Amino acid sequence: MTTYKILLTNILLFILSVSLVFLVTNNSNSVEPDEILQDQKQEFRARNISKNIRCMVCQNESIDESSAPLAKDLRILIRSKIKEGKKDEEIYKFLTDRYGDFILLKPPFKLSTLALWVLPFLFLIIGVLIVLFHNKKSKKIHYL
Amino acid sequence: MKKKLLKFPLIFFLSILLVFFYLLMIDRNPSEIPSALLNKNIPKFEAESLFKDKNFISSKEFGNETTLVNFFATWCKPCLDEHVYIKRFSDEKMIKVIGINYKDNPKKAIQWLKKLGNPYSNVALDKNGRIAIDWGVYGVPETFVVNPEGIIKYRHAGPVTKKIYKKINLIIEDNK
Repeated sequence: MTTYKILLTNILLFILSVSLVFLVTNNSNSVEPDEILQDQKQEFRARNISKNIRCMVCQNESIDESSAPLAKDLRILIRSKIKEGKKDEEIYKFLTDRYGDFILLKPPFKLSTLALWVLPFLFLIIGVLIVLFHNKKSKKIHYL
Repeated sequence: MKKKLLKFPLIFFLSILLVFFYLLMIDRNPSEIPSALLNKNIPKFEAESLFKDKNFISSKEFGNETTLVNFFATWCKPCLDEHVYIKRFSDEKMIKVIGINYKDNPKKAIQWLKKLGNPYSNVALDKNGRIAIDWGVYGVPETFVVNPEGIIKYRHAGPVTKKIYKKINLIIEDNK
């Protein structure tokens, strides 16, 4: 019994330490010191945009996380646009005009992406209806 | 009635399987991204030229004929691999090819072209990669087909292979 307890605490400790490591490393980013803007508000905006922009080279990373040269170029470009006084929407438009919607990590809600956004909810409703319908029918049978 | 309902999930499952199998078998590359610039005007730019003292001005270089735009660099191995095909476009097919030298050393680029042969009518220097960003380029080599009106008709990301060479030739024929 005691060996069982020790084993359990060991497993728990292991899970805790692994998740702690992930918690720390997941916050990592590739922004280099010389890229960072002096103005904290502007830097915050740049970081926010960078997190939503896909690195076209690595494709499953944001440019905030990626160390690819193109990601660095785009981070610097975004910061220079912010310095110029461009709005967030203007910067997003600049990037999608060149690289398409694919550069946005979150696909936009558009006519062409309607199925992507709506279908899961539609399936959920259909599923709930089927369950309800089925229950009603089986209840009736039960009472008869 | 009940038997009919039971068949429905099976048919549904099989049709999904069929779609997946079809997508698996057809010749496609899921990581290939269509260019956002397709059927749009080429981005205007001005840059230093590799051969000439005069600056490369895009509005003077494009128009009148179907032109290929090839982003390349001497440090890029796939660019070396596709060079034979780029040369065949200019030598055999008499197509105007414009090179854009991406983040490279101009001296090395000149030597590279002297050694391998020069297919380009002019080469613009993209020292910091800004021209490439305006073209939506995400890695060299990339090749664009621009029609006589200065509109982008096709983009290929990655080296031109035998298959892509044939495909580009067909697109050029369509856009003459």
